[in-house]
Amino acid sequence: MADLGYASLFLSLLFALYAVGAAIYAARRNRADVYASARNAIYVVAALTTLAVAILEWALITHQFRFEYVARQTSRAQPLLYNVSALWGGQEGSLLFWAWILALFTAVVLVQNRRKNQELMPYVIAGLGTTLAFFLALMTIAANPEEVGSVIALPLTSTLAASLVGSPFRMLDFLPRDGNGLNPLLQNPGMFIHPVTQYLGYVGFTIPFAFAMAALFTRRLSDVWIRTTRRWTLVSWLFLSLGLVFGMQWAYMELGWGGYWGWDPVENASLMPWLTGTAFLHSVMIQEKRGMLKVWNLVLVMLTFILSLLGTFITRSGVIESVHAFGVSSLGPWFLVFLGVTLLSFLYLMFERMNDLKEENELDSLLSRESSFLLNNLILVGAAFATLWGTIFPMVSEAITQKKVTVGAPFFNQVNGPIFFALIVLIGICPLIGWRRATFENLVRNFLRPLIVAILATVVLVIVGVNNPISNLVFSVCAFVLATIALEFYRGLLARRRQYNENWVAAGVNLVSQNRRRYGGYIVHIGVILAVIGIAGSTFHQVETQANLKSGETLRIKNFTLQFDGLQIYPTENHQVIAAQLSVFENGARVGSLAPEKDFYPSPNPDMSQWTTEVAVRTTATEDLYVILAGFDDKAGTATLKVIVNPLIVWLWVGFAVLVGGTLIAVLPDPREERALARARTQEVLVQA
Amino acid sequence: MSSVAVPTVERTASVKTGGKWKFMIAGLLILGAVAFVTFSSFQSNAIYYLNLKELNAQRGSLINQPVRINAPLDKSSIQFDDKTLTLKFNLQEDNYILPVVYKGVVPDTMDKGETVVAEGKLGQDGVFYANTLLVKCPSKYESEPNASDAK
Repeated sequence: MADLGYASLFLSLLFALYAVGAAIYAARRNRADVYASARNAIYVVAALTTLAVAILEWALITHQFRFEYVARQTSRAQPLLYNVSALWGGQEGSLLFWAWILALFTAVVLVQNRRKNQELMPYVIAGLGTTLAFFLALMTIAANPEEVGSVIALPLTSTLAASLVGSPFRMLDFLPRDGNGLNPLLQNPGMFIHPVTQYLGYVGFTIPFAFAMAALFTRRLSDVWIRTTRRWTLVSWLFLSLGLVFGMQWAYMELGWGGYWGWDPVENASLMPWLTGTAFLHSVMIQEKRGMLKVWNLVLVMLTFILSLLGTFITRSGVIESVHAFGVSSLGPWFLVFLGVTLLSFLYLMFERMNDLKEENELDSLLSRESSFLLNNLILVGAAFATLWGTIFPMVSEAITQKKVTVGAPFFNQVNGPIFFALIVLIGICPLIGWRRATFENLVRNFLRPLIVAILATVVLVIVGVNNPISNLVFSVCAFVLATIALEFYRGLLARRRQYNENWVAAGVNLVSQNRRRYGGYIVHIGVILAVIGIAGSTFHQVETQANLKSGETLRIKNFTLQFDGLQIYPTENHQVIAAQLSVFENGARVGSLAPEKDFYPSPNPDMSQWTTEVAVRTTATEDLYVILAGFDDKAGTATLKVIVNPLIVWLWVGFAVLVGGTLIAVLPDPREERALARARTQEVLVQA
Repeated sequence: MSSVAVPTVERTASVKTGGKWKFMIAGLLILGAVAFVTFSSFQSNAIYYLNLKELNAQRGSLINQPVRINAPLDKSSIQFDDKTLTLKFNLQEDNYILPVVYKGVVPDTMDKGETVVAEGKLGQDGVFYANTLLVKCPSKYESEPNASDAK
């Protein structure tokens, strides 16, 4: 079976390369038949990689420990859920997963564009096929550089496949009785879903990038490529957002230090494409509406793609120390070469085509929607740049000066704090400024009411005794932004009621459904502001304490009292649990119980058995009570607890849920967008003529 | 075909020119501000990342300065007081031994650690007081070290 898996990957590589060549040939010679065969080759790649995934999943689920990957990632005692998710739990499997998703996405793009974009499509296939070939090559021929020669010579023998670092179908020469199992830290439902969403987001941005490349190649640089890939971009961005939030959830629940974000390189790697992707989502609107920022949009989609690849690279290569710290592998140089070639060929092509990228309009006024979008773009890209700088600087510095210098969370907070603050201010201001040229009086009139809300919020905060100036500023700005968005909705509702005589509910439904993109966007903004409230609350008002307790003793934190009722020790399916039983009292009244745990995962190999800490959390709308069992003595029956109160943190998760809802509204098919795309196509045809 | 009039598709082009420079300046100001914040914060937050030999060589100038170290862990030296949550252990590389004290929740993978990355300060007493620990495990297991942060 392993041979079949390896063979299907190797054939996929050949078919992907064929598709690239055939697509380009078809476009140059105008050969419809060759183009059809390039498309079919992509469908074959999708089918073959699906077969490879199916084989690996079969091996994972049925404990085929002769597969090295299976032996490393699963064990007999491990729950089925985590045997399934082991597919993306290790390096080779996640490479396969990446290639598989990309193959499926490419097939979907081909189906979507059967009769559309006939000029762009061959080059889209070429771009996507090249990326596919790269990932397939990593798994089939990219061994340690000195081995490559011999491996290419005899690719289909499993003995040689065995030496490939990137192959998920490497075999052991003996049959282990049991596997090592997935690291217990990864045995968390959040870890089931986080890598999947992260990868869907990373891979998804390949699609708009491939269209951008194709637009450059064919000199069809109007907004057709942007409008065609609008939903791919939105959905990919949605998955990157989900990747972020599930990652934070996992860190919060599983790493057990009371936080959710530590500016770890891998966290930064998932944030950077999200930032540039967010900038791209906004700036494309300017190109669609006014025919401006063409070069900038190309640069942004390229940056997002490159940062997505860099994200995969940082996570998988181990070049930068991080909580993820997967084994250092020899894949690094391959990734860097691919990144470099992509970057250079894109830039070359763009400068070559500069004449086709003339702006159709010029910016009219500094005080306009266009400039505020431009400002938001500069800020987002600035944040991405600062994050990138802090992330890769240790590598660069060591290479140049031989001295290793590094920065930690304080640097990122200090830089990105003000940058993100400017960004949320802008979220509030932007909708108040009209397109092209806004007047100052107009602005003042629009600003007045939200400003009053912000001042009221500040007063209320001071009255209830919140005294941190920075957090008060953030909360007030959040109130301001929410007020501006509420005002936008209110205005739209009033207009509808007047014009169509609708009741409030009907007006609300119609308002959003007939302008999904705009109001979906506003809902996303509400989500972002709620998340900011959660972040500010838990960052500036976190309280913690710790204590060593005997049975019956209590600990106080804010208005909570925790009473330790003793240790409970019991086995489960694959691990041993030591739980501290706690009764929770709030203002003297019993409100529930909590049981933070230390879990022991035994393994036949004593070096592989491991402890994990499972926190217990009581969540309410105002605060999380977060309890860690930091130490225990089962003979004396004592427990050492670390207790943290994280105010408002639930709004971080609620905010992301709202953001997802808003994005889904914006993604739904919109007749207006369809008409706009049709218009753009007609215009492009006329221009080409 | 050439006789067919092709309708102009230009959008409402602005006739105004020469206004570009204000946008250039505004944009450069913002990028400059971001770059300034980045580099100045970098200067004030950059810390040396050293191994034990380097730490020892610069011992005099590093007392009470924030520094990050990376060194092999002497597993036999690990002591944990679960009452006060005080973790003590030694890092050892060649002939250099560095005692480390860390207060807080111990990373779950501590007893599997091969090397430790610790951030903190070297005290007058020659003990390294760490406030962040990152434990690196043998890479072939792809074990995930546990980041722990004592805030």
